[in-house]
Amino acid sequence: MADEAGCGGEARMRVEGGFAHLPGRATDSCVPFERLGGDERAELARLADEASFFDCTPQPAAPRPDARTYTIGLTIDGRSRDLQLAEPIHDPRLAALVATVRRITRERGGA
Amino acid sequence: MCTLTHRHAIHCILPPYILSRIAEHGPPELRGTAIRALLVDPSIRIVRATTAGPVLGSVARLRSAAGNILTPSPLRTIRDAQHKPEAPGATVVRREGDAPTGDPAADEAYDGLGATFALYWEAYQRNSIDDAGLPLDATVHYDQDYDNAFWDGTQMVFGDGDGALFNRFTLALDVIGHELTHGVTEKEAGLAYFNQSGALNESISDVFGSLVKQKALGQDAAAADWLIGEGLFTPKVKGSALRSMKAPGTAYDDPVLGKDPQPAHMDDFVRTNQDNGGVHINSGIPNRAFYLAATAIGGKAWDRAGTIWYNALLDPNVRANTDFAAFARVTVDVAGRLYGAGSAEATAVGTAWSDVGVS
Repeated sequence: MADEAGCGGEARMRVEGGFAHLPGRATDSCVPFERLGGDERAELARLADEASFFDCTPQPAAPRPDARTYTIGLTIDGRSRDLQLAEPIHDPRLAALVATVRRITRERGGA
Repeated sequence: MCTLTHRHAIHCILPPYILSRIAEHGPPELRGTAIRALLVDPSIRIVRATTAGPVLGSVARLRSAAGNILTPSPLRTIRDAQHKPEAPGATVVRREGDAPTGDPAADEAYDGLGATFALYWEAYQRNSIDDAGLPLDATVHYDQDYDNAFWDGTQMVFGDGDGALFNRFTLALDVIGHELTHGVTEKEAGLAYFNQSGALNESISDVFGSLVKQKALGQDAAAADWLIGEGLFTPKVKGSALRSMKAPGTAYDDPVLGKDPQPAHMDDFVRTNQDNGGVHINSGIPNRAFYLAATAIGGKAWDRAGTIWYNALLDPNVRANTDFAAFARVTVDVAGRLYGAGSAEATAVGTAWSDVGVS
């Protein structure tokens, strides 16, 4: 995935699985923080903090039929981590973080 | 108090133990009515659902005493996630027997589960996912802009689509049948969701998902469209559906979504680390084998072709790591056992697998 970029970091997302394999969707997306407004950067930092994103222990999950697997990556203030999560994501704080990164990378991202 | 005069008195709310006593020891003219009241009583619906497979115990004796043959019915619960990424959803919006809600997603999920239950019971005498009346649960309005549906091991989960490229996933009846069939496969062969066994798992869901739709429409094999997910794309997408069992690889070709990657023959088998080893990609090969077998056999596809595939899924030789070739051998064996080794059905199944390069 991409290097650490301006404004202290970036958000990354890869989505696999789902009801069908859609080649156009099976790509990595990355959004440098410099493309985001201050409010969005603050929201991501807050959600990552609430979800203990950089410290939590991953819960390995067997792939569920048609469920998606999200590889979410964040680089914030020098800390970086990529975490793989299968849906349904039972931790509501992680679910909220994934939903926000999905939205941001879809709206602002590029491969 | 029983005050209705147009109904038989026994239809009034009597405790189940009294109905049971009447069913077992009452006068002959009331025993059948008592049994029917017992079966309708919501308070024992769960008991009925969980005992409607191999019927044992007092319920079986009561049914036998009344001379009734049980017809199982589904026990559906639809929940609303209210656009949160939560399954099961927090709010129950429709239970079994409730009137339509007016929410298309909830009502389509309810009806779709009913149509899937009907296929499995009427065609294969299977009582729900576990063949023991397991309640059918679904969550709709999952997450925001969520263009997917999945089986989480206990329930079906449906998103509303993003509105730009995808409509709500409950629109497609075959998608609902597909998801419920994942539960059936999990209870039977337990096909591992990776590589060829995973693609077989996906294909079996497409097969029975398509059969649910064909049966609901009363179509025979020649008239069916053999598409999976027809109607899910908005008009902005260049494509007719997510997959085609008849012509894998032709369902869509769109600037945003890309081109349908499904192969139709083992010569084009895709080796990949994506999509759990290509479970939604290589499923095109066994999908086409079923299409070829069903159209060669003719008639309603859920009858003979579906019966062969269903019994293959239950065969002890189909296990977690079964690949295409092993499953093909079982389907040919099953066709021979059911219809004769040299029958048209067995020949059609063998030829179908051969035509897609599986031997």
